[in-house]
Amino acid sequence: MTAAVIGFFAVLALVLLRMPIAFAMGFVGVLGFAWERGGSIVSERGLKAALSMVSRQTMDTAQDYGLSVIPLFILMGFFVNKGGMARDLYRVSNAFLGHFRGGLAMATVAACGGFSAICGSSLATAATMSKVAMPEMRRYGYADTLSTAAIAAGGTLGILIPPSVVLVIYGLLTESSIGKLFMAGVLPGLLGILFYLLAVRWSVWQRPQVGPAGQRASTRERLEALRAVWAVLLLFFLVIGGLYGAFDVAPLNLTFSPTEAAGMGATGAFVIALSRGGLSLESVFDVLKETTLTTAALFAVLIGAQTFSNFINLAGLPEALIALVTAFDVPAFVVMGMILCIYLILGCIFESLSMMLLTVPIFFPLVTSLGYDPIWFGIVVVVVTEISLITPPIGLNVFVLKGVVGSVSTATIFRGVTPFWIADLFRLALLVLVPWIVLVLPQQME
Amino acid sequence: MSHFWSFLAGLPIFVASVALFILMGLTFCDVLFRSLFNAPIEAATEVTRLLMAVIVFSVLPQVSVQKKHIAVDLCDGLFQFLRLERLRDGVLFLICSVLMVWPAWRVLVLAERARDYGDVTEYLGIPTFWVGWFIALTLGTTALALLVHGLRTLLSHACEPDAGGTP
Repeated sequence: MTAAVIGFFAVLALVLLRMPIAFAMGFVGVLGFAWERGGSIVSERGLKAALSMVSRQTMDTAQDYGLSVIPLFILMGFFVNKGGMARDLYRVSNAFLGHFRGGLAMATVAACGGFSAICGSSLATAATMSKVAMPEMRRYGYADTLSTAAIAAGGTLGILIPPSVVLVIYGLLTESSIGKLFMAGVLPGLLGILFYLLAVRWSVWQRPQVGPAGQRASTRERLEALRAVWAVLLLFFLVIGGLYGAFDVAPLNLTFSPTEAAGMGATGAFVIALSRGGLSLESVFDVLKETTLTTAALFAVLIGAQTFSNFINLAGLPEALIALVTAFDVPAFVVMGMILCIYLILGCIFESLSMMLLTVPIFFPLVTSLGYDPIWFGIVVVVVTEISLITPPIGLNVFVLKGVVGSVSTATIFRGVTPFWIADLFRLALLVLVPWIVLVLPQQME
Repeated sequence: MSHFWSFLAGLPIFVASVALFILMGLTFCDVLFRSLFNAPIEAATEVTRLLMAVIVFSVLPQVSVQKKHIAVDLCDGLFQFLRLERLRDGVLFLICSVLMVWPAWRVLVLAERARDYGDVTEYLGIPTFWVGWFIALTLGTTALALLVHGLRTLLSHACEPDAGGTP
């Protein structure tokens, strides 16, 4: 167990020196594995075993059929982006919410929620929505605190509302059903939108000048805006409905595996983007190129994490943790509280995926041994990760936003994001206290 | 000559992109054939696995030298302040290069073993050592690319007039 703890801190140190997370976890994983097998990190027997393990892991991970869901969902997100669907979603939310005080910020949150439903990445959601929503909010004289906070917070919904790349990876890591995880993310995601809308209302209630009301849209304008998003709705229904078994009726008799759903979604997004004239041969190639680069980076982390996880398991860290908790007879909710605190702290250093890859192998056996539901834990971990994306001092979404918008200081964004952050803590507490919210939809699938 | 090198550098990305597009089309057609004609593409799973290997490993050298790996830049400000950023990057490139040699070599050993056994894939009968060779080749290329890039970064750090120490 000591070796595993040293290994964990070694990864942390290497990562802070800016070694890519994949290499840091792989390197420490190999040395740790060699140590456990051969009694020394330079023993020939130990190193040989460790290198065999890592090469087998490399070959298997890259050829895993289940993992093909990752590039396909990323591809879908990129095509959706090219198709200008974010703009349409913003327009429709604006038509319905824009005339309220703080309405444009509310529309931004709603559009982020909608965009999350077809894109599996928080950073992509924040980056895309900031380009669409920021100019509009500036035009209406919104304070930068509120407008940037709404985008940064709304963007975090990307990894919770299905499809979500992070949930896919959690599912593969813990052998949980990806379909059920996706279903489980729906209600907490909607709850997230609701809480963020309340956070906007609270901000404008405190300081009405930060979010003046826009013009009320006519019924005709609303209908026109709605007409533009039918394709997005169809795409979401195709992917999630297929996973959920909505098409499992004669004559179709069709239920999608996650890979199939992702393939259908990517093709659908491609066709929609093509039909809107948003794609040239060059831009298709750009999208494919970006997707392959992102995929390779993700797989590198995945292989590194699995190598590290093999070492952690061999060193017996999960068992030691379970024994520790049993010996001290700590109540389950206290353990869960501690785990969530660790996540919130780690979230200040790691980005969401690496944090999940690093910690889930350690905590998952403990959490399930305490009787918690694996699907519920997956959602809770993702929500905590979402919170870390907007937590000072290094919430990643805030920095993405700063990168895109430019002229706003991170301090301003963090100041505006505080009500959203508090709303997130409330949501987390609610999901922990009432697991039903997470589990009711996946239970319908059984 | 420079045309040749830029063509060579762009080739892996092109190959991976084409593989990804085929993967998308293949999955779509598989679902369509299964639902409409009750005739799924039998080899789809196998081809998917092969395409995945191509997508992930073809672009690995580019991802590695272009610093596209997921990393934490929390201490970047400190390194910039100390003007040690290039030195750190160069050293990290070199370490990562050495780390790539290990799996490249072991994957090659595994591939050779598969060749000895005469392993082939189930539906298409493709020898599995081809995949192993391909992965070993890309890992080896990544190691080489990281080495060259690391040395260049270190040299540029050394050549910088005010480099190498605190301001």
